[in-house]
Amino acid sequence: MATVTFDQITRIYPKSSKPAVDRLSLEIGDGEFLVLVGPSGCGKTTSLRMLAGLEHVDDGAILIDDTNVVKLAPRDRDIAMVFQNYALYPHMNVGQNMGFALRLAKVPKHEIERRVRDAARILDLEDYLDRKPRQLSGGQRQRVAMGRAIVREPRVFLMDEPLSNLDAKLRVATRAEIAALQQRLGITTLYVTHDQVEAMTMGDRVAVMKDGILQQCDTPRVLYDDPVNAFVAGFIGSPPMNLIDGLVTEEGVRVGTAVFPLPPQLPARPGSALTVGLRPEVLEPSEPDQGIPVTVHLVEELGAEAFVHASIEQESDTLAVPSSTIIARVEPQRAPAKGERIGLRAKSGSMLFFDAATGARIRTGSQTGAAVPS
Amino acid sequence: MVLPRRYAFRFIALVILLFFTAFFVVPIVWLFLAPTKTDGQLLGSSPFAIGSLSTLGHTFSRVINYSGQSLLIWLKNSAIYAFGGTALALLAAIPAGYGLALTHFIGRKTLLSITLVVMIMPATALVLPLFLEMNKLGLYGTVWSLILPFGFFPFGVYLAYIYFSSTIPKDLLAAARIDGATEWGVFRHIAMPLARPVVGLVGFFAFVASWNNFFLPFVMTYDSSQYPVQIGLQQLIGSTASFNPTNFTAGSSVQVLQRPDLAMAVMLAIAPVLIVFLFAQRTLVTGMLAGSTKE
Repeated sequence: MATVTFDQITRIYPKSSKPAVDRLSLEIGDGEFLVLVGPSGCGKTTSLRMLAGLEHVDDGAILIDDTNVVKLAPRDRDIAMVFQNYALYPHMNVGQNMGFALRLAKVPKHEIERRVRDAARILDLEDYLDRKPRQLSGGQRQRVAMGRAIVREPRVFLMDEPLSNLDAKLRVATRAEIAALQQRLGITTLYVTHDQVEAMTMGDRVAVMKDGILQQCDTPRVLYDDPVNAFVAGFIGSPPMNLIDGLVTEEGVRVGTAVFPLPPQLPARPGSALTVGLRPEVLEPSEPDQGIPVTVHLVEELGAEAFVHASIEQESDTLAVPSSTIIARVEPQRAPAKGERIGLRAKSGSMLFFDAATGARIRTGSQTGAAVPS
Repeated sequence: MVLPRRYAFRFIALVILLFFTAFFVVPIVWLFLAPTKTDGQLLGSSPFAIGSLSTLGHTFSRVINYSGQSLLIWLKNSAIYAFGGTALALLAAIPAGYGLALTHFIGRKTLLSITLVVMIMPATALVLPLFLEMNKLGLYGTVWSLILPFGFFPFGVYLAYIYFSSTIPKDLLAAARIDGATEWGVFRHIAMPLARPVVGLVGFFAFVASWNNFFLPFVMTYDSSQYPVQIGLQQLIGSTASFNPTNFTAGSSVQVLQRPDLAMAVMLAIAPVLIVFLFAQRTLVTGMLAGSTKE
């Protein structure tokens, strides 16, 4: 078992001035399942490949335990990786695929056989050991790729979007299997995904990246409740947090035609802009004269819950505000009809505030979160 | 009005296609039929008349027994030169193409451009300098003078380059590297087993290039016992009475061949290429990489 430390690592691709990964510092504890998440092009896969040794590191150090592995070849790092496209050896059968690393390491044949068999049993692949990858379904191939990683008993697992090629139903099932397997094996794992649901459900901790820069790294709960900036707030959660441009006035902050009182500690001058964050579940539909007056233009019925998509009514004399739709989660029995005018009330203390220009969180006295900006 | 016009176009197209088919097929058919006839029949009867099996047998034995079974010696020589050259070409071209396609080193792009440029250069242009080189090395007239030049096969390098860069997913090699393979191990365990189609293709082209090569062995060999079959055919033409009447004045001891014999010799000379093609073609399987990655 091992710990992994990214220490100020930077990757600048040739012919690019902007770093793909910019001074990333991150620690993964022994046996921890850490998920790197972010939109495409945020540098998460590059970071993973740098740890694997498949990508050059321009600056900084990567430690596995106390060894700096930056200069080591991939084969000397004692890591195993599951690729997005599985990268199974097409000319070898399942057993040979899984035992390849052990064969190269000159592990005795009976020992290879035993470990391959054990892994195959865990992954329910025992009946397929003699098959070639092309004779397997997508889910089976994915499991072979997992098997190839676990027979190695490596110090670190790397997983690069291993579920993205599975269909939705299988993805949910495999998600739970991988998380359980990791827990059982206790091997330090770095998992990369663009899917925030995957990140939230699987990770012990989740690191959110954007444009090569780490935004926040914490437990799923903290990321959800206490995001450090508007990006994390909008990225985590499905549907995402409503981020609405508001205008600070003497009485408070104006959202649409409604005015909400601001916490007294909040440093905001009247006349300045402020981004207001509201999770869909903190909004309650009520009479049009209460809360934010909106017009419903879509109701998504999901059975246990319903999402109301509505446009915020604007005062004709206010500035044109770009973000004017809002999503609220309501009980399906109380869902308003399409086209209806309603008011959306926010539960007290549920509003988050962000700097309109930088997106940074503006904290108020009542919200002393545990989040530590990295 | 519209329908007849469409048919007219089809008819014209068909006529053109048939004409060209006949244009190219007729000589081949003639060549295949020639050994079944005597020289007289070849001239006198219809071009597509079929001779007899016994005539074919006579023609065959005359060609085989010509000048102490020279043709068999030439075929054997050709086989040695061609298989040796092919082996060397594969040994050089496949790793070179792999290196150019899937590894990174300084000068990679320059090497690739040079490969393309020298591919355009006709092989014949190198024969004279090669002769001088072989002479200095003391290899002139040896088997090596006809095998070593095939280590230089830029076309094969380019084919291998295209194959490796377009068919083998880089993640597959990355997976092997993470699994503990050295660079050589990646090539040997992953790239080579998957390169069968391109090995077959490059091998076939190298074989044909060597087998059909005329000018290089023409310069490098000096004795009939060293000739490959292409030079031998040239000698057979020289022994054919109808092509060289002056050689065969009365009392000459040179064995005389007829035109059907020559046709027979030509077919015997191309038969090995056909056989090699059948073997090479089996490696050109599709779907080798199926199931490896999911795009």
